Amino acid sequence: MKIRKLLRILHRDLGYYIVAMTVIYAVSGIYLNHRRDFNPDYKIFVTDFSVNQPLTVNTSKEKIKDIVESVDENVVFKKHYVNNEGLIKIFIENGEAIINPVTGKGTLQYLQKRPIIFGMNKMHRANLGTLWKWISDLMAVILIFVAVSGLFLLKGKRGFNRWGWWLTIAGIIVPLIFAILFV
Amino acid sequence: MKKTILISLFALFLFSCGNSGKQASSVAEDPQEKVAITVDELYNNVADLEDQEVVIKGTVTHVCKEGGARCFLMGSTEDKLIRVEAGEKIGAFNQEQMGSELEIVGVLKMVKTEAQAHNPGKEHGDGQMEDAETSEAHKVIANAQEASEVEYFIEGMKVKEL
Repeated sequence: MKIRKLLRILHRDLGYYIVAMTVIYAVSGIYLNHRRDFNPDYKIFVTDFSVNQPLTVNTSKEKIKDIVESVDENVVFKKHYVNNEGLIKIFIENGEAIINPVTGKGTLQYLQKRPIIFGMNKMHRANLGTLWKWISDLMAVILIFVAVSGLFLLKGKRGFNRWGWWLTIAGIIVPLIFAILFV
Repeated sequence: MKKTILISLFALFLFSCGNSGKQASSVAEDPQEKVAITVDELYNNVADLEDQEVVIKGTVTHVCKEGGARCFLMGSTEDKLIRVEAGEKIGAFNQEQMGSELEIVGVLKMVKTEAQAHNPGKEHGDGQMEDAETSEAHKVIANAQEASEVEYFIEGMKVKEL
């Protein structure tokens, strides 16, 4: 079998094989690039509220539970404590709330996982244990192979020797400029 | 195509075999379960427990917003906090674990906060002559290292929600 034919078969089959992985890494990569603009894993809902009844640092657990669960129907109380600043800090399922017992003003922060993206980000960060680390390494090697083998598939004026060469150089120049200027 | 799938499945099988073997050996190395201690108890014996495997329980007060790489466990008050690094074995903590009681198995580590920031050996080559200014800088760094604050953290290995 000629080498070009073998490359074409491997490029095609391995290309099909890593479509899902490539999409996972590309989509989560966009979200993680913008991690300083927004939280890539969670949507965060912040609600300010005020309590119209007297509170102290010794207010009972039941009363705190009633107050915080009345702010939003999705809120499920977990536990609370009084922090060093004298504020009541409350943990809820998927978030937290803080109440100033003196002013009665409070803020509730509710987190909601971004569907699908949360899992993709976790895979991208390789936070799924040792096995996943090696699988993603293997996928990366396959992706490198598919990228490099793609250079040598076509012959003629649209092949790597003529047309492809210039586009490949153009693709190298963009990161190279940033590397020279900013790294 | 069939060959590609077969090769992939075989590779996956090999990886999974290697991984399960590792898990089995880590269980075998730990024949007796340690009793979980609180964050307060940990700080009471912190010098003795340094670089040792500990089992600690506490309330999660903070989870790192960027990927959950670390969390903080609280003892009896907000002043009793210990940082837990998820590491490769735990992977990541979730924001949903905020306020939950966790039991962590890990190794207690100590860092000197200033000492890590300034490492003269890394900044200067061995063959370089040390002038008066550099020598003075090294003295300042050495003094800073002596005066630096000690910080303890846990390299997490296992996590269990209580």
